[in-house]
Amino acid sequence: MIFDFTTAALAAMACWSAGSLLSFFVRKTPALKLPAFLLSFAGTLVMVAFIASYWSMLDRPPLRTLGETRLWYAALIPLVGFLVEYRWKIAWLKYYCMGLASFFLVINLNHPDVFDKTLMPALQSPWFIPHVVVYLVGYVLLAASSVTAVHNVSLQLRSKSNANGESVSHYLALLGFVLLSFGLIFGALWAKEAWGHYWTWDPKETWAFLSWLAYLGYLHAYRYKIEKGKLQWYLALSFIVLLVCWFGVNYLPSAQNSVHTYTQS
Amino acid sequence: MGIVRRGWLQPPWEFREASLFTAIAVFFGFILQYAASGQGVPRLYLPVNAIVLGLFALLVLGIGLVFRENTTVKWFGGIPLGLCLIVAIAVLSLIGGVFPQGEVKPGSIWALLGLNQIFSSWPFALTVLLFLANLGISLSWKLVPFSFKNIQFILFHAGFWIALSCGIFGAPDLQRLVVPVDEGKEINLGYAMESNIPQKLPFSIFLKDFTLEEYPLQMFLYDPQIGQPIQERSKAPVLVHKGLKASWDGVDVEVLDLLPFALPDKDGRLHPADKTAGIPFVKVKITTPAGSKEEWITTGSPFVETRDAQVGDVYVGIRPGTPKAFRSVVTVKGDNGQQLNATLEVNHPIDFGGWKLYQMGYDEKAGRWSQLSLIEAIRDPWLPAVYLGFFMIMAGNLLFFWNGIKQKEVAS
Ligand code: HEM
Repeated sequence: MIFDFTTAALAAMACWSAGSLLSFFVRKTPALKLPAFLLSFAGTLVMVAFIASYWSMLDRPPLRTLGETRLWYAALIPLVGFLVEYRWKIAWLKYYCMGLASFFLVINLNHPDVFDKTLMPALQSPWFIPHVVVYLVGYVLLAASSVTAVHNVSLQLRSKSNANGESVSHYLALLGFVLLSFGLIFGALWAKEAWGHYWTWDPKETWAFLSWLAYLGYLHAYRYKIEKGKLQWYLALSFIVLLVCWFGVNYLPSAQNSVHTYTQS
Repeated sequence: MGIVRRGWLQPPWEFREASLFTAIAVFFGFILQYAASGQGVPRLYLPVNAIVLGLFALLVLGIGLVFRENTTVKWFGGIPLGLCLIVAIAVLSLIGGVFPQGEVKPGSIWALLGLNQIFSSWPFALTVLLFLANLGISLSWKLVPFSFKNIQFILFHAGFWIALSCGIFGAPDLQRLVVPVDEGKEINLGYAMESNIPQKLPFSIFLKDFTLEEYPLQMFLYDPQIGQPIQERSKAPVLVHKGLKASWDGVDVEVLDLLPFALPDKDGRLHPADKTAGIPFVKVKITTPAGSKEEWITTGSPFVETRDAQVGDVYVGIRPGTPKAFRSVVTVKGDNGQQLNATLEVNHPIDFGGWKLYQMGYDEKAGRWSQLSLIEAIRDPWLPAVYLGFFMIMAGNLLFFWNGIKQKEVAS
């Protein structure tokens, strides 16, 4: 198992690196565009294939441990980069995305997580997959939104205008907000079936609510007459709240009796 | 943005006034909490809470519509105040999200300010009330005159208004009672969390059978010196099956045989037994640099001693797998004669006379031999209203997603 993962991870990272390297030469040699994309895309395909085989080996969706969610991020984040390039003709985002995906894989290589087949009864629910997948995709989009916002801020500081980049971070945040809202409500509906009540202010729930509020605040500030440039700072920093929600909750004093903490080894 | 310098409180009011107002409200909330010596907000029950909420809704909508052109009301229903209140709710939730909630020493500053139960404290209640007022007023302007153009706004804002207000005003009516029932017995009493006083339920539960299904046995190497299992490199629990080969530093273990349900006789010989009494036995071959040996080990049960294999200073042992599923076959009888046979399982609650019954737990020490099933009976008369709010938000969300994409087309 561990061996398989190492192979898959190294293969994916090799594809991404080679694809990125080729992309650098696309400006001089446009014919390289397709091969560069196919090579980069192959890295994601490798991850998808690995997740599929891992899923069938486990007999349960690999969405339970932090390490397992990292596999999904590694597979999905580059896709956002490719889509943004296709739709908005912004090429640099995909390098960040592939870099971030490789970073997640390296964490997994260094910490073979709890590769445990068991799934506690409360997680055996039809809500499990939609809830987690919606959140995964939401976080992926918001991560990309923040990266774009950081880039926009750095352009601003160098007084370069960049209206296109600002609308990209905005629309990624908007889509991310939609998915966070669905994730929050799916979670509530599931909690009612599994634990008896839709909302108990469990630390994970509280932090999910906080991240949702952060983007709710953004959307309203955007609607109001607030300079769009300032809001790029806001978007760049919002991701910190998401990170706490995603990784940090386990380490907070309030997490003592959370039902949501990911299994730790 | 115009660079008109505006003095404090000089109209039109905006963010400065909104933040000042919000800060005063939160501060006042903490004063109230302190004055009430740590007591939370009073709990109102049906029908009083429904009447209060109804009047509040009418008041808010009324103010919004009647004083539509008033500058203060315009500010009160505007985005600046909304944003400040969102920040206030976020900060209060942050307290609840960072510090453990629950019992603390009474009389401590935490308890007096309600920081250990922030979500039922005065500052939180006051902020939410103002938030509902602000949201309600902005809603009134989009509701009247009604236009389909505003449907997305209405679904989001009214949905959130309904879900939040009904969730919070209805919270006191939520009843959660734990019903402990033994196999072959019938009970009509439930216990609130952290309370030993039983409450009578309008129905009784008879437990016909409780069963626990487990994942495969787990094997580990145990060091009595450290007091915990030594982990294998992958850190995964080693799940036992016939033919399994596992290895820890210098200790190789092979599973030669596996009897899922067996019992030893007087001479220690193993015989297959039935499912209720039998326990798992595993024949392992243990190889170390010093040599190899074969031995039967077992998880043990309340009736049979656990048997581990000693290897030098450490032991190879097996333990029951983690629970995969547990279920209770029950008959529920209402006081009005209504009767229902059902199987309760985690994630599969049943409805009975306005209550929902959940499989909650069992006697974990006894594991598979548990005779006790813990069932939770929950009644939440406000649930349909909260769900209505949820579905409105989801509908608004779908529209937002769709319109967001369409705007993107226009923007490019
Ligand atoms: C604090 C009270 C709130 C006020 C005063 C408020 C007010 C507003 C206003 C005036 C708009 C602009 C509408 C338009 O231009 O047609 C708006 C947009 C919006 N609001 Fe709120 N709102 C509040 C709370 C909420 C909440 C709790 C939610 C979520 C459930 C929400 C979700 C939205 C969404 C999704 C938009 C659309 C944003 C966009 O089109 O970019 N709002 N809100």
